[in-house]
Amino acid sequence: MSGYRFDRLKILVVDDNPHMRKLVVTILQAFGVVQIFEAPSGDRVWAMLREVNPDVIFLDWQMHGMNGIELVKMIRTSSQSSNPFVPVIMLTGHTHIDHVRQARDAGVNEFLAKPVSVRAIMSRLVSVIEHPRAYVRTKKYFGPCRRRRATDEYQGPERRAATTEPVQETAVA
Amino acid sequence: MVNKLPTEIFMPPNVLMAKVGRAAGAIDMSAVQRAEAAIDTLKVEFDDWVASDVQRLGACRDRFAAQPDHAAREQLFLVAHDLKGQATTCDYPMIARLSSSLTRLFDGLKPTETVPVGLVDAHVAAIRVVFRDKIRTATDRMSIIVAEELEARVTETIEAARAG
Repeated sequence: MSGYRFDRLKILVVDDNPHMRKLVVTILQAFGVVQIFEAPSGDRVWAMLREVNPDVIFLDWQMHGMNGIELVKMIRTSSQSSNPFVPVIMLTGHTHIDHVRQARDAGVNEFLAKPVSVRAIMSRLVSVIEHPRAYVRTKKYFGPCRRRRATDEYQGPERRAATTEPVQETAVA
Repeated sequence: MVNKLPTEIFMPPNVLMAKVGRAAGAIDMSAVQRAEAAIDTLKVEFDDWVASDVQRLGACRDRFAAQPDHAAREQLFLVAHDLKGQATTCDYPMIARLSSSLTRLFDGLKPTETVPVGLVDAHVAAIRVVFRDKIRTATDRMSIIVAEELEARVTETIEAARAG
């Protein structure tokens, strides 16, 4: 037993495919998550976010209407966003490295390629709990640091605090 | 002149850890086993799920063939993309492979470039046959031959479009 109290989490699952939603919800319920909310589209999510205030969002990329990338950009940067720090785990059939970069550049915390597996979902959930990323605010980007777990692993002096140096972040898969 | 951007890096409070407690990052194997067992109970529904998506794929193909506009193209792509992501979970890996080839066709062509309906039809027909014959492995010889042929045709089509 890991000891995680998943029953205390509120998780929002966003996918326009009802079968995929059912699969993810079934897995989360088996993990012990009780408060699970579902949305069939990005447009619906925006209205739900303030009401539900989820702790984690599982978000599909390809959806009718507002897609997952557009939604996560709004969550991170809109002045109307109820929680710009909410961890987003992106589920997608896209597997090319360019897609991973695009998701990271939008502000996604974790990337989960379909077909999904139980272990992969557990792994991403544990990751956002145990290894939260620092957040970065630049003129062009706000979201999780795209250097994977740099602040988590580095134990030395602070390397890059608030600075006026030109910034070039690297998207790392 | 270098454009200097103010950059702020900060670590928000770990509210998730505060909620769920620390567990040393260990994967809860009993929870994993429970979830795998839960998926087993869903397996009786998998054929219905795939049947529903294959039917949607056919309907989107018909709409696309009748009027190959942006909306019809987008609908067809999204259904193929759903099958690509879901079919392996539902024990139809060859449907996932064929759907992946179909999505690559759409991804590889610009919105202004024509998607050959014949090649779309060949993919849709192959997906229907794999489902009809309940081919649940990725090693079925005939399915592999068909998939390889379609993948090659997709590559040719995209390369021809790029060559102008």
